[in-house]
Amino acid sequence: MFHFLESWKKSRNILGMNARNLDYLRPSNKKRARRFADDKMACKRLLAKHDLPVPALLARVRTAEDLENFDWSSLPGSFALKPNHGFGGEGIVVVYGKKKDAAEHTWIKADGSLVTVEDLKTHIRNILDGSFSLANIPDSAFFEERLKLLKLLKPYTWKGIPDIRIIVYNRVPVMAMLRLPTKESGGRANLQQGAIGVGIDLASGTTTTAVWGKNRIIDRVPGTRMVLSGIRIPFWKDILKMAGEAQKVSGLGFLGADIAIDRDRGPVFLELNARPGLSIQVANLDGLKGRLERVSGLAVKTVEKGVRMGMDLFGGEIEEELEEISGKKIIGTVEKVKLIGKDGKEVEVEAKIDTGADSTSIDTELARELGFGEVLDFFETIPKPQTTDRTALSALSDEYDKKYKNAHPDLAGIVFVYASNGFTMRPKILLSFFLNGVDISSKASIVERSNLQYPVIVGRKNLRKFLVDVSK
Amino acid sequence: MSLHPLFLNFVDQGVPVDTIRYILMFPLVVTLVAFFRQVVGIKAFGIYTPSIVTFAFLAFDPGGLKYGVAIFVSIILVGMFSRLLLRKLRLLYLPRVAITLTIVALAILGILVAGGSLHRTGLASVSIFPLLIMITLVEKFVATQIEKGDKVALILATETLFISLIGYFLARSHIIANFLLSYPWIILFTIPVNIFLGRWRGLRLSEYVRFSKLLKS
Repeated sequence: MFHFLESWKKSRNILGMNARNLDYLRPSNKKRARRFADDKMACKRLLAKHDLPVPALLARVRTAEDLENFDWSSLPGSFALKPNHGFGGEGIVVVYGKKKDAAEHTWIKADGSLVTVEDLKTHIRNILDGSFSLANIPDSAFFEERLKLLKLLKPYTWKGIPDIRIIVYNRVPVMAMLRLPTKESGGRANLQQGAIGVGIDLASGTTTTAVWGKNRIIDRVPGTRMVLSGIRIPFWKDILKMAGEAQKVSGLGFLGADIAIDRDRGPVFLELNARPGLSIQVANLDGLKGRLERVSGLAVKTVEKGVRMGMDLFGGEIEEELEEISGKKIIGTVEKVKLIGKDGKEVEVEAKIDTGADSTSIDTELARELGFGEVLDFFETIPKPQTTDRTALSALSDEYDKKYKNAHPDLAGIVFVYASNGFTMRPKILLSFFLNGVDISSKASIVERSNLQYPVIVGRKNLRKFLVDVSK
Repeated sequence: MSLHPLFLNFVDQGVPVDTIRYILMFPLVVTLVAFFRQVVGIKAFGIYTPSIVTFAFLAFDPGGLKYGVAIFVSIILVGMFSRLLLRKLRLLYLPRVAITLTIVALAILGILVAGGSLHRTGLASVSIFPLLIMITLVEKFVATQIEKGDKVALILATETLFISLIGYFLARSHIIANFLLSYPWIILFTIPVNIFLGRWRGLRLSEYVRFSKLLKS
């Protein structure tokens, strides 16, 4: 019963078709604005007019006459042929290169199959006839520049070009996902057809959870070992800004902006969507309705402000999530630690988190402050080995450790450390400290660090409960 | 059964009671389709196809429902088959649909002939009206195949069959029919029901399945 209630509560957060149509599409997307979303050429013109990047237009075929007079030699080696009113990625032909030494113009598709002028003509005739438009309304076709796949996304993608879908409402980006074409989707970035949707944390542009097709939650690209979470989308803030600008210029109050990243040009608009689908919620494992309700009614004056709000409101969960999944806390390379002295004295200092160091070490001065002066004085009385030969030293190391361990109540052992600047013998003590709220008992070595920036180094042995984020 | 006085006149002039009954049933059936779309989340091929197929099924009565369903299924199968067949020819849309419709018409003819030779009189005596309705189903099916793919088209066809069957059993019910013939104004009640459905913002039942991962997470 409790479980049912919980589910029901969560369902209030989810945007369904009925609510999308009634509360968001109807009031927000007026007919005039919708035109831009349905007419790809009009959309291209509009965006280009406002200096927003779109793929370059190569040629347009409006009528059968246009088609007969078309100069096929004007087409470059690679291009995309699209129906103007197409939807769901249907009717798009992409070629990657021109076949050399062919009698007539012949292009090569991603799967290696050949496309002749005759093939293109038949395809365009079908487009003109409305085979790929809603309700089979006669359509026009156009050729545009083929976008080049970003190296970063190559291993995640099966042919095709991945894109980023961003839902913008009231000038605030509210949810985003990366769409990866798969074999099942035939290289198209459409979830209905079997593409992968990966949720994105709006603050950092880092991917989170993923869905394959409509409802299958996955961690990796099927059939590969590529993990889908943690991909950092480049140009993230620019992409959010572009989506916000697109909403401003198109007048689509509830917009699904599709943006691809070209290897050379950076983020480029693919299309604007006036009826964005709802699967983005599964990819993000979060409901849209809750987010939309938080944003509606806010007075957002500029695109920049909207982007900032979106990033603040709908981002930053990644770290918490990672901590939840791994059970480990995320720390930076420098963290405050609270050291507990012998008589319970607490000293707070900055420590370097060093995954290159095996164990934790603290500065002599600090050790004295914590009440380890006595053991340090005792340690001074221990004769140092006279040899500098490394093999001899490592043989001695165990002997020393055994011999002097507990020779003084505070002495937990002796360690030989070889560093670039030579050999040192250090005493080890039992030291407990707090790092990011976690109580850690360590065997720390004491060493002269007064000339270094941080009096404490926390080494690997004491970092098992943490993940280190070097950018933090 | 007591006819509402309004209809007595019609019936006297030779309008079949069944005609009145079906007309009264129509608002009920379309409301049912709307309910299935908005609340249950079963899409089918829009509202027209499932309602008209419902009445096509009714026209197979008495005892002809099995033939109705059989013809429905064969039409879908033939539609899929012709798509495979015609794909290679790369034809424009209307000629392609025309050929598909021709093949379907021939297939139905074949079924009728086969039915006749097997002495299935119920099948042979079917009027042209339900057959034509069923044939038009093909255009919906082919259009969906082209726009959304075979899988979606097949799902929508199954959903259409499902809703039409429920509509059939609803419209066939004598209790409801007699009630409507006696109190025809009751059908006006479907208007507020549809106003309610038209403002229904909740998740569809199918969406509870679709978003099950979100509900659990």
